[in-house]
Amino acid sequence: MSDKILLSIGTKKGLFIAESSKARRGFTLRGPFGEGVGVYSALIDARGAPRIYASSCNPFFGMKVLRSTDLGKTFKETKSAPAFPKDDGRALANIWSIEAGKDRKELLCGVEPASLFRSRDGGDSWELVPGISNHEHARKWQPGNGGLCMHTILRDGHRVHLGISTGGHYMSEDGGETFKAANRGVGAGFTPDPFPEFGQCVHKIAGHKDVPGRLYMQNHGGWAEWDGPGGRRPNIGVLRSDDHGHTWRSIAKGLPSDFGFPLVVHPHSPDTLYVVPLEPMTRTCPGGVPAIWRSDNGGGSWKKLSKGLPKKDSFFNVLRDAMDIDSFAAPALYFGTTTGQLWMGRDSGEKWERLFDALPPIHCVKVAVV
Amino acid sequence: MPPRLNASQHAGSGSTISVYIPSPLQKCCRGASELSLRVDTLGALLRELERRYPALHQSICDETGTVRRHINLFVNHHHMRDLDGLDTHLAEADVVTIMTAVSGG
Repeated sequence: MSDKILLSIGTKKGLFIAESSKARRGFTLRGPFGEGVGVYSALIDARGAPRIYASSCNPFFGMKVLRSTDLGKTFKETKSAPAFPKDDGRALANIWSIEAGKDRKELLCGVEPASLFRSRDGGDSWELVPGISNHEHARKWQPGNGGLCMHTILRDGHRVHLGISTGGHYMSEDGGETFKAANRGVGAGFTPDPFPEFGQCVHKIAGHKDVPGRLYMQNHGGWAEWDGPGGRRPNIGVLRSDDHGHTWRSIAKGLPSDFGFPLVVHPHSPDTLYVVPLEPMTRTCPGGVPAIWRSDNGGGSWKKLSKGLPKKDSFFNVLRDAMDIDSFAAPALYFGTTTGQLWMGRDSGEKWERLFDALPPIHCVKVAVV
Repeated sequence: MPPRLNASQHAGSGSTISVYIPSPLQKCCRGASELSLRVDTLGALLRELERRYPALHQSICDETGTVRRHINLFVNHHHMRDLDGLDTHLAEADVVTIMTAVSGG
């Protein structure tokens, strides 16, 4: 019987673990683990005995992967971290995503510069996945403000979807052997061609296991006022695909901004998704008033969720992996801010409360019921 | 007191030099704070470290063999960039110090 909620909170100064009973009344905090070192990605792997993985992105000594087998009470470095082959010429700069692979001990890891690694032994050894890492486009991708990062890995049977900033959406339909760019309808505001084949600044992609053909994307929006070559590009920020990512269409209408980073789908309703609209120039809450926006009809319309959130003077950012949702029947949504606050929204985000007020800047939040 | 691993444990060719290891990296060389090795250039030193202590080498150099951006190597009191980089000759009793760059935030 599952009766415990674990939150992994990756911050600029290490990884924190918060734990609560399923009532979610009072979370205890432990950490930081990998103290003083930025954590940009984490995975609570609940396949079998739970394991928690986190990237430890040390600017001095390089990348490490931390692993816990005791629900986040202790962490140890795995035997190795992803590394490019010596003759490749690229050097690992960051680890942006860790996801479960197809087998119990398989892990997938998206890194900077944008490449994919696979471990078949729970993170102790890693191999480059050449189909995307050595893709003919790979040396043409450009770094965004956060670096050239592979931040999204989404598996659906033999399909693998990847989000790269700035590279766009890439898809494999043969289990990860080969990949192709799939960005039809995905706009870019920073290239003369508003709809290039690849090179978009995708921020996040999410889907739902019950409707695998449908995907949602938070893309780099905020280009409605652009008057340069190619013309204005409104509403390219929040998108939906109904054909496994081959084509995309805007669902941004009704949002205060189509710029944002995270995008989360309800665990029991493929029609329900959440985004965090931000001012595109400052990348902070519009007007200093934070709100999460939810659609209950697949992006057809949007509802503002702000009960319990500050009503003024709040200018934080919520980064691409800093929002998640638990799996209870009435799930709670969680997001962490660049100002170190961790918020929980009960009843699918209807009512918000602050769990922690003064953590280091938060990079990523993952939740699991264990 | 962290142990000092001496030349008799690490015989090789070249001059006998000392390498000071910063505390966060001592776990990569069995807790040693200082290593004594026989090498004749900084590049040879890094290759020897890679051979004997791969985890230590990975913390100093990236996959391309480049010294990491926030790591500084000093020979006696001189930064390697002010000498001959990885070609810097090491003489008997030279001291190589591995230091992290100053940073904040």
